[in-house]
Amino acid sequence: MSTTPSVAPVARRVRAYFAPVNRAAGTPTLFDPARLGRFPLQTPPAPWLDLGWIAKFVRKSGTKVDALRAGAPAMAVAQVRTEVDASVALEFETWGKLQSALASGSQQTNLLATAAGAAPNGSGGLAAAPVPLLTGTGPASTASALNVGATAAAAFSPGSLVAVDVDYTGQLGYIGSGISAACVQSAAVVANDINYVRRVTLNVGVVASIANGILSLATPLPAGAPSAGMQVSQLAGFCDREGASFFQEWSALFVLPGTQGDRILYHYPRLQAMQSSAEAAEPLATPLQTIRLAAAFRALPVRDANDGETVLCFRSYLPAPLRDI
Amino acid sequence: MQNAKDTFYLTLQARLAALNPSRTIVLRGVVRPATLVDENELPTASIPTNSFRLQWTKLQVAGASPLPRVAMECAIHYATDGTAANGGMDRGRMLAAMDAELASALTAPPHTVPKMNYAATPPAAMQTSVFWADPVFGAVCEDAERLARTATVQVFAYQEAGEL
Repeated sequence: MSTTPSVAPVARRVRAYFAPVNRAAGTPTLFDPARLGRFPLQTPPAPWLDLGWIAKFVRKSGTKVDALRAGAPAMAVAQVRTEVDASVALEFETWGKLQSALASGSQQTNLLATAAGAAPNGSGGLAAAPVPLLTGTGPASTASALNVGATAAAAFSPGSLVAVDVDYTGQLGYIGSGISAACVQSAAVVANDINYVRRVTLNVGVVASIANGILSLATPLPAGAPSAGMQVSQLAGFCDREGASFFQEWSALFVLPGTQGDRILYHYPRLQAMQSSAEAAEPLATPLQTIRLAAAFRALPVRDANDGETVLCFRSYLPAPLRDI
Repeated sequence: MQNAKDTFYLTLQARLAALNPSRTIVLRGVVRPATLVDENELPTASIPTNSFRLQWTKLQVAGASPLPRVAMECAIHYATDGTAANGGMDRGRMLAAMDAELASALTAPPHTVPKMNYAATPPAAMQTSVFWADPVFGAVCEDAERLARTATVQVFAYQEAGEL
């Protein structure tokens, strides 16, 4: 078959996927475009999480190339990279838990339902007692079905937001099942709060329906089936704070699907938040405006196993079928 | 360009028919989905209602690309009188239904389809794809009990070697 001249890619928008970085081990999630580059956009390969379409995606290279000069008058005889830097800015189209956590710049807290008489607090007061997951009574809990029993289930309703994670029992360092959500320096700082892991975890879901003591979730929990000891707390929403100390770090993949079957992929194995929580207001019609979560990240380096180069980002292009290259 | 026009028309017709299979029209004695291209039909003074009529209007060709890129404007006209059983008082609802069907058909992914040559038997897939932007909906025009609207959409395609 003959080929057709290739043309500059035309794309409508950019889709974002993020995957956790193992903060304790310092290990990012690497995406292999040679093997997985043409994955269906709606179903990214595990453990990549689909954060949907994004707007105002801007890549910036801060890499500086200087000339080495010699002679009189000085003439450029060679070039050298004196600084390597890259950043990414974007706006999310939705305000989901992951999007708002990523755009918060730091640890984001879940606004756990408070205990009766709890003192007011900016990120939520003392949390109500969590609900245990039943074991040995009825079906085992899964990533999308939580067995709390009929009595406890009466306190939930379709639409309830839930955080599912282990109790805080003095863990230090990175906490949060599946995804590192915060870093604890000392148990005293978090007041040994049994709910602290659930307060920061990204392992959250929405109850879609309730039957026979089972909370069925609209989408599976990011961390998968609950492990032993996990409990459930209800939450009202999410909160982030200007001045908090934690740096979110994620592996990221941005995909521009071309109209001709071609595809551009930008893979940043390590992105750390580089700005605090921010929003972008887009006028809709006076006096309405759309508020989008605005995020900015700085790329951190990884080593390419093929040649040992230390790099910040991988840009891949998958041509359309039967195109000249 | 004709291949791109045919491909877009048949794609839109199939999507609209899938959304509302009962929206049909009798044309030259044949019951068919209520989407047609004016220039492909016999000239007539009567405007069919409850159907989508496509007209190809503006055309631009960008020759700087390795393959000339063609941008065509497609105006999609539709109108309704409502139903006689309701004395026409449902004409607003019927126009809203047509708005929703057209918006869904044009904004649902994918926004690109392989260009087909329907002059061949059987129709042959070509090497590039037809793609389009989001539709722009014009204001409602009222003429007695009739409500009408025109939506426009930019349709793009690449002219392949030897294609007319």
